[in-house]
Amino acid sequence: MCGIIGVVGHDDTLSVVLDGLSTLEYRGYDSAGVALTGDEVEVAKREGKLEVLQELLSGRASPPSGSVGVGHTRWSTHGPPTDANAHPHTDDTGRVAVVHNGIIENYQHLRDELCDDGVTFESDTDTEVVPKLVAAALDDGHGPAAAVRHAVERLEGSYAIVVTIAGEDRLFAAREDSPLVLGLGEEAYYLASDVPAFLEHTREVVYLDDGEFVTIGADGYRVTDTDSDPVEKSSTTVDWDAEQTGKGGYDHYMLKEIHEQPTALRQSLSGRTDPLAGRVMLEEVEGLTRPEHVQFVAAGTSYHAGLYGAELLRRAGVPASAYLSSEYATSPAPVSKATLVVGVTQSGETADTLSALRAARDRGGETLALTNVVGSTAARECAHALYIRAGPEIGVAATKTFSSQLVTLNLLVEHLTGQDAGTRGLIPALRGLPDDLQSVLDHEETTSVVDDYLGKESFFFVGRGLHHPVALEGALKFKEITYEHAEGFAAGELKHGTLALVTEETPVFAVVTGDDERARKTIGNVKEVQARGAPVVAVTDGVSEVERYADRVLRVPETHERMSPVLANVQLQLVAYHMADRLHRSIDKPRNLAKSVTVE
Amino acid sequence: MQIDSAVVLAAGEGRRLRPLTRFRPKPMLPAGTRPILERVFDALIDAGVDDLHVVVGYRRDRVRNHFGPTYRDRTITYHTQKTQLGSGHALFQAADAVDDDFLVVNGDEVATTNAVERVIETHSRESVATLAVVEGEDSREYAGVELDGGRRVTTLDETPEPGAYGLFNAGVYAFGPSVFSEIEATPQTNGERALSDTLVRLVERTGSVCGVRVDSPRAKATYPWDLLELAAVSLEGPTTDETGAGRETAVADSASVHEDATLRPPVAVANDAVVEAGAVVGPDVALGANTTVAAGSTLVGCVIDQDTRVGENTTLLDTVTGTGVEIAAGVTVPGGPGDVRIDTTVYEDRPLGAVVADRATVGGGATLAPGVLVGPEATVSPAATVRTNLEASTELRQ
Repeated sequence: MCGIIGVVGHDDTLSVVLDGLSTLEYRGYDSAGVALTGDEVEVAKREGKLEVLQELLSGRASPPSGSVGVGHTRWSTHGPPTDANAHPHTDDTGRVAVVHNGIIENYQHLRDELCDDGVTFESDTDTEVVPKLVAAALDDGHGPAAAVRHAVERLEGSYAIVVTIAGEDRLFAAREDSPLVLGLGEEAYYLASDVPAFLEHTREVVYLDDGEFVTIGADGYRVTDTDSDPVEKSSTTVDWDAEQTGKGGYDHYMLKEIHEQPTALRQSLSGRTDPLAGRVMLEEVEGLTRPEHVQFVAAGTSYHAGLYGAELLRRAGVPASAYLSSEYATSPAPVSKATLVVGVTQSGETADTLSALRAARDRGGETLALTNVVGSTAARECAHALYIRAGPEIGVAATKTFSSQLVTLNLLVEHLTGQDAGTRGLIPALRGLPDDLQSVLDHEETTSVVDDYLGKESFFFVGRGLHHPVALEGALKFKEITYEHAEGFAAGELKHGTLALVTEETPVFAVVTGDDERARKTIGNVKEVQARGAPVVAVTDGVSEVERYADRVLRVPETHERMSPVLANVQLQLVAYHMADRLHRSIDKPRNLAKSVTVE
Repeated sequence: MQIDSAVVLAAGEGRRLRPLTRFRPKPMLPAGTRPILERVFDALIDAGVDDLHVVVGYRRDRVRNHFGPTYRDRTITYHTQKTQLGSGHALFQAADAVDDDFLVVNGDEVATTNAVERVIETHSRESVATLAVVEGEDSREYAGVELDGGRRVTTLDETPEPGAYGLFNAGVYAFGPSVFSEIEATPQTNGERALSDTLVRLVERTGSVCGVRVDSPRAKATYPWDLLELAAVSLEGPTTDETGAGRETAVADSASVHEDATLRPPVAVANDAVVEAGAVVGPDVALGANTTVAAGSTLVGCVIDQDTRVGENTTLLDTVTGTGVEIAAGVTVPGGPGDVRIDTTVYEDRPLGAVVADRATVGGGATLAPGVLVGPEATVSPAATVRTNLEASTELRQ
């Protein structure tokens, strides 16, 4: 899981590469490096965030220069983050430099073989075999493109690779199971893990497929398949705006994205309901009819959205369950032709979820990608794609995309169940949701709650029914950015073990809306923890009597029971954000994490 | 001369527009179906300005969230005025970001492209300041202006006597970079730095202020009823004549208007808005994004802001709503003129039916007397009659 970029056709190659890397830093930030090529290949790389590399380069009298360049920002898989393990990697003579994202599974074998031939290695990485293999092929008399192809043919695993060779004004790249997109500018071409890396220069994009090779030069590009035959690729124009990925005056992307949620939800909903007829209109998935079973496969926050979607479907009488995609990929559930398998992945590139979807497809299931990224691998590989339309999300902690996932799942469930799942009032509630969410943001009161509980030992989150995924998500968001211990539970599960951990030092966040049986039972669980002295924070619409048992209350507007989880979750996002801010955490780039995990 | 940059002053709260400004700054209030500030940016961009600066302060997140870093592909640079210490102080926040001559407009006022173009044409490096002037608007709200027969401003009077002037400041300016030192040199009034004080000082001391006549009257949001006027202006098609030809009915693609509903132009229906069967909407009605007008309702001369729902068989005249308002079935707002109380001042006979601020709820069958203001998140119980202003988050039972 790393970010890579390659550029040809600019005079200021170094700044284009560094600017591109800064937009890819969400993919990893253990170390960063660049290689620029003229007659020679010049490499600069450093452990640490990109700014460390930038400082190093700005201190140099003659920073690397050349007409072509590659860059890399790393999230360690093989070997610790050190200068030596940072990319680009080179061959012994320094003729060849390579940046790579993915995992080369047979690298040990290749490395042993090369060592036997007298090649020495400087790093612990899997990547370093690639420049050595390319160099060996060049020594054998192959031309540059052929040498890269020779090397890549030896690799097993997942990779997006960009290669630069001394004296060559072209870049050579290959893709297998790792994202790589080609940007078409004016007499300039780009390769990158993700579109924002070159959005400043062009919105014309070619999505590369597995097994393809590409060569870019200032005069054009050429894509070939595994048999070296040319491939005609069509380009698409992305409608994201380069500037949309800026922080817009906020201290953190996460806070900006929390505040963007009313807008994101409006986009998610726009044109997808017919309020006059009281119906949902989802043209993108018109061909999909009511399935016999639905399985959600997802990871992290998207998994919590999957749990929510499964609960909605079960309430509509459709058997449904959610699976962790890393588990499903290796232990798939039984699938028939009447099974719809929905992959929920913000980026559309989550490797575990792609594997799970492939496993489902191979077993004959119908697949649907629920994703934010048009043209992403999941969207292209699945039979159907449904976009959540949340706009670009840069903060590693998913916020607005989760809200948009929940809203889009409501639309999907209505569509699949022939519109009889939604009780009356769902469409007005959906239409009222952006403003209800704005109301939560306008009445922000989480900072004082956070101040009350700063320094506590552990934080628990409980909820029941549709609020169970909210409790899990609340805990995940909290722990991933505060580094404090947090756990989420189904409210009724607490007494089956975890209650032993509940003390005065463990605040419990209880999500309770409405006043139905679920709410009353959750209140019973709240009393249990209160009796053990735990401070209770109720996230509630004020309908039930939960406030009587709560030390602090975070209010959400009263709405349809299917919308309440979206609003309650926003309160928990704000709690996590402000706690992390108080603790001076690296909110947008939590340690050890990366936004879209494209390795398994 | 060519001018590429503009600074839009959008930091103020707009106290006389309370309670509509409880959660957002005045420039984000609607001119028709879109925020005033969008129309300001449109006028600037259409006049050739590419580099947009906006000074934000009160509820600045709302501006940033709405626009983000660009508008119509032009970069927006935000400058924060942390405390509202006058328009000169506000402009000063952008001092480091502009280095050539630049425009200044107010974010709560719909400038016309023509006025902006005229100021750009007229301004030269010889002038420290150039301002647009408009004829005949005899108002205490705007500064009176005298020209020397040509384009030199000889008098700028911030407190004009009625009838004393034939020309008034139209609120569109161009400045040279030296204006910032002039702002610093202008004595403060009550701890604030007003841009108008600096202009007066420039007129009196240097005589290097130019005026250029424009023919577009000011369309500024100062009082709640101004929003009805701003909507009417923004709804008019460019070719409107006395017969009403050219009046427009603009319905967004994603809006739904029932075939048995009637739209009387000029009307604007924004994205995802819904007009149900039997509703009669217009003339002079702006329905914001994601609003709903339920069956059988009648709306005349109204600004209905985003996410608001108007229930069945409700009649609204001359009404301004905030966002997310819930007006139930059978509500009546008979319309202006009415006496409007803002803080401690009563403005008599103003063309205002009622203001219902953000997320207020008006119960079924309720009546709002002319000129009342219902505060944000206030609740009017069913069948109640509201005769005096209702404070924020309070409930009127009857």
